[in-house]
Amino acid sequence: MNAAISPGGRRTLWVVFWFLVVFLYAPIVILIIFSFNDSTIVSFPWLGFTTKWYEQFIHEPALLSALKTSLLVATLTSIVATALAVPAAIALVRRRFFAKGLVSGIMLAPLVIPLVVLGISLLILFNAVGVPLSPYTAVIGHVVIAMPFAILVMVPRLQRIPAALEEASRDLGASAMQTFRLITFPLLVPALISAFLISFTISFDELVISSFLVGEQATFPVYLYSQLRLPERLPSVIAVAVVILVVSVTVVVASEIGRFVSERRLEAQTGMAADDIGSLRGGKG
Amino acid sequence: MTDTMSDPITPAISIRRVTKRFGDITAVDDLTIDIREGEFLTLLGPSGCGKTTTMRMVAGFEEPDEGDILLRGEDVVGVPPNKRHVNMCFQNYALFPHMDVQQNIEYGLKLKKVGKEDRARKVEEMLSIVRLEGYEHRRPGQLSGGQQQRVALARALVNEPAALLLDEPLGALDVKLRKQMQLELKRIQHVLRTTFVYVTHDQEEALSMSDRIAVMNEGVVEHLGTPREVYERPATPFVADFVGVLNAADLAVSSVDGDRAVLTINDTDRVVAPATGHDLAAGSLVLVAVRPERIAITRGAAEANGGSRLSGTVAQVVYLGTLTQFHVDTSAGKTFVVHQLSTEGSEAIDAQDDVTLTWPVEDSAILRVGADAAAS
Amino acid sequence: MAIDASAEIVTPPSRRRRRGTAKVNLGLISVPLLWLIVFFLIPVVLVALYSVGVLTLISYDKYLSLELWRYFLHSDTYLGGPLGRGLFWKSLKMSFGVSITCVILAYPVAYMLALVAGRRRYTLLLVIITPFLTSYLLRVLAWRVLLNPQGVIEAVLRNGGLVADGSQISWLYNSTFAVYLVLAYSWVPFVALPIFVSLESLDLQMLEASSDLGASRVQTFRKVTLPMSMPGVIAAFVFVFIPTIGEYVTPQIVGGKAGYLFGNVIQSSFSSSFDWQLGSAMSVFMLAAVAILLAIFGRYLNMRSVTE
Repeated sequence: MNAAISPGGRRTLWVVFWFLVVFLYAPIVILIIFSFNDSTIVSFPWLGFTTKWYEQFIHEPALLSALKTSLLVATLTSIVATALAVPAAIALVRRRFFAKGLVSGIMLAPLVIPLVVLGISLLILFNAVGVPLSPYTAVIGHVVIAMPFAILVMVPRLQRIPAALEEASRDLGASAMQTFRLITFPLLVPALISAFLISFTISFDELVISSFLVGEQATFPVYLYSQLRLPERLPSVIAVAVVILVVSVTVVVASEIGRFVSERRLEAQTGMAADDIGSLRGGKG
Repeated sequence: MTDTMSDPITPAISIRRVTKRFGDITAVDDLTIDIREGEFLTLLGPSGCGKTTTMRMVAGFEEPDEGDILLRGEDVVGVPPNKRHVNMCFQNYALFPHMDVQQNIEYGLKLKKVGKEDRARKVEEMLSIVRLEGYEHRRPGQLSGGQQQRVALARALVNEPAALLLDEPLGALDVKLRKQMQLELKRIQHVLRTTFVYVTHDQEEALSMSDRIAVMNEGVVEHLGTPREVYERPATPFVADFVGVLNAADLAVSSVDGDRAVLTINDTDRVVAPATGHDLAAGSLVLVAVRPERIAITRGAAEANGGSRLSGTVAQVVYLGTLTQFHVDTSAGKTFVVHQLSTEGSEAIDAQDDVTLTWPVEDSAILRVGADAAAS
Repeated sequence: MAIDASAEIVTPPSRRRRRGTAKVNLGLISVPLLWLIVFFLIPVVLVALYSVGVLTLISYDKYLSLELWRYFLHSDTYLGGPLGRGLFWKSLKMSFGVSITCVILAYPVAYMLALVAGRRRYTLLLVIITPFLTSYLLRVLAWRVLLNPQGVIEAVLRNGGLVADGSQISWLYNSTFAVYLVLAYSWVPFVALPIFVSLESLDLQMLEASSDLGASRVQTFRKVTLPMSMPGVIAAFVFVFIPTIGEYVTPQIVGGKAGYLFGNVIQSSFSSSFDWQLGSAMSVFMLAAVAILLAIFGRYLNMRSVTE
């Protein structure tokens, strides 16, 4: 007997699950369907199948520029956030230091602060210091919200690498830097990739902070938002958003497959399950 | 600088009055040990006795709060672990999973910028010493526990350290493999003549492998000596009880006759123990002990011949293959354990039988004079 | 066997020494921490300064004044007394409602994934999470398409004859209901994750032990599973509740007039009305509320309950 669920309960939960999946995906699917509607109203009546909305946006300079800006901002954000998250995670997992609780609280606090407050506070900072708004000021804001996520991805991965490996490396003559380069870093690579991708996703999709900080050069979500006031632009705007959606879903799925593959490869190489790298007590006999 | 390798006086490792505290707890308390060049010394004790902390201080992963640590005469306190010339064999092997056996073993050599050919040669030598020839390109995950253990050993020893520190390396292995590895370790140590410092809580392991044993308890060394000394002449009650099985009873001295003390129990039963080194008078309460293999057990009555004699009933017979163990409720008020080789007619004695236990005077020992509520 | 009292070692003298540990600890955390101090903590201080007039947009207008605070705290629009009719309480209530709804919806799904789904659980979790990783704006837009009077839902209902031609269901769009629905929709995947993590970390043997000792499944759930998954639930709740208090995008897109909330005022005071002082005061007030809420819920939050 399964102590967690009864057979009837199991059926009920599966039904609930699929209902939720439908609920989650239906609006998106409906939107995609109607993006092919030959009508300026994204709804019934159905006036015919067309891909013209998808073709239009290629000719929109403002839109293309917004996409480029978003790519730039997201890439920079991911690099900085991931680069900062690595030493932070190491310090939080491996080291003892003064007021560790307070420091980890500060590192994670941006997760709970309403974005509007983060946005305006940085706006005030840049205004007071006289820094003009640009995609780079947006990057600064994005790093503030992406870093906690990057840290949260790194920490469990780091915890699964036993400290004994680093001690063994030092025992055998490696300095702290060499130990990081030869031992810790190679084992952290999957987490680095995840952290990068999460930061990228967060930054690319970010609207609130960007709208305060990005200045004249809009990012894609900011551009999208500004177009909402014009109902006739809606179908082409939606078409672009759908393309982005398909791209991001593909990226997520591909990265998951990629992570799956790299973990299986690590397993084959080392001969053990990725989760067991820590114990190294497995194997035969 | 003196050539400390050929100087027989300078110890390989010298731990002098080292104390280490963690908050309120004193893990190591004013510890002093000199470990001799080329010896196999074991730090033996229960969990929390400070043996692992001591080892980590020698390796450099902890620093003492007080005291000095010298490696071949040089003070190493404050020196980081990667600059100390000792190497450690970790409890869970800590092999690098993303490198193969060869890369693991040559790790330390590569850091010292040893050339490729020299590295390959040394790795080969080590692999043959640990009997893993041909395993260069296997990955740690493809190896069994015992094989991983040997790779960890090779990885440490290839650097020719002043001493090898082993932190309960055999704990994860099953019994038969453990016994094999114990012999292996001893053999390798003999071949290389490296100083081995071994940490374990398994007293059988310590007895079988060590040149000397330091029995530790609550941060101090209670006895430092050869296995025979520690077993047959324990310095303290703790050591007597921790190493091997011990039968002990609190009895009162009835008379002191020259160099022996007589502790009478009744008309027929008495324990006789050597009185030298203790200040005894009639009426003193003492804790007296005897090892189980020194006791002769006979069905029915038997003569004491000037030694100790106890009567009792067999509560349990435990057959252990080589040995048979008798648990006897004795007239001394305690259950005594008697070991007998299974060939010596032990089949004749069953549970519920009345038996007599006898042993010579010199096999008794007085562990403590005076009552102590906390003692065993 | 005899006791050998001479089996000890003579102790040589030694000297005490100060131990120096490398200050690498500080170095590692310092750069990330510095970033957050400069770009997170200090800006917040600046906001506070703005709210009392020490810093202003127009440089000659500076003087320390609590006038604005007095105005703000006494206003009916924004506060209207504790738990009154003001915008702040409206936002707080809405956020609370959304968070509770999300938790209630997400828990059974997380339970299923963690305890029932078996080997497929991570794939299915990914299925649930993926919408959250796509464009937030797009999802809000999708609901706008669905909910608005010319939109899909009403068109379907009109065709099916359930709604008369020319009329519309007023509560479906430009309404509080719309805001609630879309916000809940957006957050449910995110909420499922920490609950899933805390349920997954449960040792199944505990549930079996409970059953072995005589508890029914419902009792086991009530006495063992639910309490032990609470840290994850509370973490999930807090991670939705607090940020949503300042939410303004969804309210603006699907809420119409009903969608004018506290966050909207802050946003417009910085982007259109240029009343930075008022906006700052409101932000400081919201931060204070956040701090209080964190203090209340903070006991339940630790790194573990939040790591993915």
